[in-house]
Amino acid sequence: MSTALHAPEAAAPDTGAPRLEARGVTVRFGGLVANKDVDLAVGSQQIVGLVGPNGAGKSTLFAVLSGLLRPTAGKVFMDGEDVTGTSPQKRAARGLARTFQHPELFSSLTVREHLVLAYRMKNAKSRIWTDLLSFRGFAKSPKAEDARVDELVESLQLGGIQHLPAAGLPLGSARLLEIARALAREPRVLLLDEPSSGLDVRETEEVAEVLKSVVRDHGVSLLMVEHDVELVLGMSDAVHVLDFGVKIAGGTPAEVRRDPAVRAAYLGEEIEKPAVQRAEAEIEQGELA
Amino acid sequence: MLSYVLAGLGLGSIYAIAAGSLVITYVASGIFNLAFAAMAYAVARFYYFLLVEEDWAIVPAAVVSLFVFAPALGMFLYAVLFRHLRLRSTLVKLMATVGLSVALPPLVNLWLEQPTDPTAPGLAPRPLATFQVFGSTINADQLTTYIGLVVVLLVGVGLLRFTNVGLKVRALVDSEALTSLSGTSPGRVSLGVWAASATLAGLAGILIAPTAGLSVGSMTFLMSAAFAAVVAAKLRSLPLAVGVALVMGVATNVVQKYIDPSSDFGAAVVPSIPFAFMLLFLLFYALRGQAGDLVAGGALDRAIATQGGDPTVVSAVTGGSNRRVLNPAVIAGVVIVGIVAFLPGQLDRFWSGLLAGGIAIAIALLSYTLVTGEGGMVWLSQITFAGGGAVLAAELVRNQGWDPLVAVLVGAVFIVPVGVVLGLLTIRLGNLYIALVTLTFGSLIQVLVFGRDPFYNFGSGQAMPRPEFTTTNDDFAYLALIVFCVLAVLIVNVRRSTAGLAMSAVRFSENGAKTLGISVVQTKVLVSGLATYTAAVGGGFIAMNAGSTLPDSFNPAVGLIWLAVLVTMGSRSIIAALIAGIMFVVMPQVFSTYVDSDYADVPVILFGLGALGLALHPEGVVAQTGNNIMRLFGRRKPAPVTQVPPGTPGASGPSAGTSDPALLTPAARGEAATITAGGQA
Repeated sequence: MSTALHAPEAAAPDTGAPRLEARGVTVRFGGLVANKDVDLAVGSQQIVGLVGPNGAGKSTLFAVLSGLLRPTAGKVFMDGEDVTGTSPQKRAARGLARTFQHPELFSSLTVREHLVLAYRMKNAKSRIWTDLLSFRGFAKSPKAEDARVDELVESLQLGGIQHLPAAGLPLGSARLLEIARALAREPRVLLLDEPSSGLDVRETEEVAEVLKSVVRDHGVSLLMVEHDVELVLGMSDAVHVLDFGVKIAGGTPAEVRRDPAVRAAYLGEEIEKPAVQRAEAEIEQGELA
Repeated sequence: MLSYVLAGLGLGSIYAIAAGSLVITYVASGIFNLAFAAMAYAVARFYYFLLVEEDWAIVPAAVVSLFVFAPALGMFLYAVLFRHLRLRSTLVKLMATVGLSVALPPLVNLWLEQPTDPTAPGLAPRPLATFQVFGSTINADQLTTYIGLVVVLLVGVGLLRFTNVGLKVRALVDSEALTSLSGTSPGRVSLGVWAASATLAGLAGILIAPTAGLSVGSMTFLMSAAFAAVVAAKLRSLPLAVGVALVMGVATNVVQKYIDPSSDFGAAVVPSIPFAFMLLFLLFYALRGQAGDLVAGGALDRAIATQGGDPTVVSAVTGGSNRRVLNPAVIAGVVIVGIVAFLPGQLDRFWSGLLAGGIAIAIALLSYTLVTGEGGMVWLSQITFAGGGAVLAAELVRNQGWDPLVAVLVGAVFIVPVGVVLGLLTIRLGNLYIALVTLTFGSLIQVLVFGRDPFYNFGSGQAMPRPEFTTTNDDFAYLALIVFCVLAVLIVNVRRSTAGLAMSAVRFSENGAKTLGISVVQTKVLVSGLATYTAAVGGGFIAMNAGSTLPDSFNPAVGLIWLAVLVTMGSRSIIAALIAGIMFVVMPQVFSTYVDSDYADVPVILFGLGALGLALHPEGVVAQTGNNIMRLFGRRKPAPVTQVPPGTPGASGPSAGTSDPALLTPAARGEAATITAGGQA
């Protein structure tokens, strides 16, 4: 995959505060505590991994960070500013974009139209109303829009399917499309929910390269939920571990690898031995990497 | 007072039987059966045939009707229709049951003929015996109704709670796939559920016939009142549905002690009580965020679902995704509009008038193209907005002296806020609730506004002249066609613009749209407003064509037939709206002119059967035909349009989410179809 992507325009000045920060986030669903007093920060041009067993509360935390869910307690900040009460749209306008564990695509739109829409939501304000009073639907797309969309299509190898509707896309293609759509929004902070799920090893490596280039060359900050431990440990500057809604560890990949609480969470006694061995092997591979 | 309560309990018992049956079938099948009244009519008509026309005794007539004919009807409908619907979209499910409700009664009448006497005996022997209860009199019909409800509740609850059959039904509710894996045939269980549902519908129909009459209209009205209890029960709770149904029946009768039902006010208020109940409960649940759609089946069912068929998912031919201005769909559309434009000069005055009427309805149908096709919202009140546009335009012409065309085009603007407010109120509701609340809204407006003077005026409404420059039918047909084309171009413009992309985004994934920065509220308000305006303009044209507002022609029941015809043709296709509008008006006249009058209802049956066809072909006739033509061309060109090319990243993985089978890759289609076939009887 090509990694030649345009630099996103900065939506807010860099204040030195973390691009995205959760402080004491607690989410309760009735008696169930999905997140309990979770702290987490994503700095400028940082890649942060969020890992944990199934049901650890990762997706809930993502929903809180992206504004789809209001926390029971705690705050969310973007560039030091409290955004806890703001809508997902306003967070998107501030430069937050995300993908979903189960791709949230727009079935009737083509792959290319997904990217066009995302690009326009960033670059063509108030178009919804002016569209009605003009005949922009029949006008040719602006060159800058075509160029940017072409670039993303090429980068994520979506050329062969760009004119197909999203309905019925294979899971891997759908995931790449979600990533491309998020990048078309030219975000400052990108939340990725299991970006490698559905991709084979080669495709995962290529996606990882694209993401690294986005962070390295264009100043995007990345928060990633991922089950591929090797991918997370290999890419991240910092890793946070959730278990039963509680953050049990946080630090550099090396620190997290050594943390006994993490090992216990991942290698719980109720897990059968072969699974334990597989997980241990994965961690060992991560250490070697 | 006690006599009012006892009479109310009788009505409430019938509501309760209907509501209970609707809840059980909805929970077990995921289908809200809008054809319940039609099924009730079919069984009641058969009972009437045996009892009155064939002189059978009550008991054998009831036994054969309720335990032979009704279950057979339910099983037949399951086999040909309902089994295809479980994992379809809400729109397809609703439209298929609407199609059944449209087609079944005339089919039964074609077989058994329209009953000559609308008053029908119930299950009690004639002459009716009466009984004294605490000083109040009840008759044998009321008594059989109470007994009917008690028996239904005892047998129903007993079966569901304490038998193996009930266990299987409850398992099916949770997951058809897992039920299948546990060795139970979901098809056979569903067959039983639908047989029982038809029996209950028949019982309600037979019990209600002595008071409401043996007619589809009266049964539909009373059964739709039972919808209120179902909504109060959040579509799921049997005890709540039965309880609210009984309270509603009592309230409807007790109110009549204080308000004279024969007065103008009483005539408007009394029939509105169930609808008021429903609106109150809907608003209450909506504000609490408890009015989402039932998700059919469990995770495994959804994972292996091939269908999810949604007629508004665009196909390669119907176009939204095709950015080329001169694509095959546009060329086909221009040809069809050209043919319609050619017709007025060739037809005589009568047929030309019908054609103009058809184009006027096509304008109103464009509102469904917007709200349902683009916005994905199942609104059943577009005909009410059309009626509002007609009534307001007529008032502006009569009282303000406006030119009729200006009155229609400007008057429609004043209807827009109504649609926007309704859109805002229903923004948090699931699609089924939206359908029910808009249908209820339409029914209320029909009773409280259109059905009252000065708007009603003995059914003829207010005069609504045509513009002076369109004195002939030909001229008016051209004017209507021009307005249709202008609105069509505006809709295509919106569809191809950012606004249209945003509408598609919101309808398929609100979360995805929100995190992209799209305002869901703004987008839905936009769709609601545009669709309301279009409907109101269409209503104005319908009135201009008829020369009068004709309030009865804007009844929500007629709106269901409009929508059935439209979705049969294709809910997202503009050309389908034109064809549907013309067919709706012209076909009945063709049959009554050229075919025996006995077959006058055949077009209605065909409209209904067309909507039933959605279960198998959700994309509609126009798109289906277009796709077939494209496939013919496709045979000459090797690369199918919808196939993911080899080498595409992730192409070897499973398919993401539900989709229209027509749009799946061949591999995904084959794989999913194999799994599903194993899960069905």
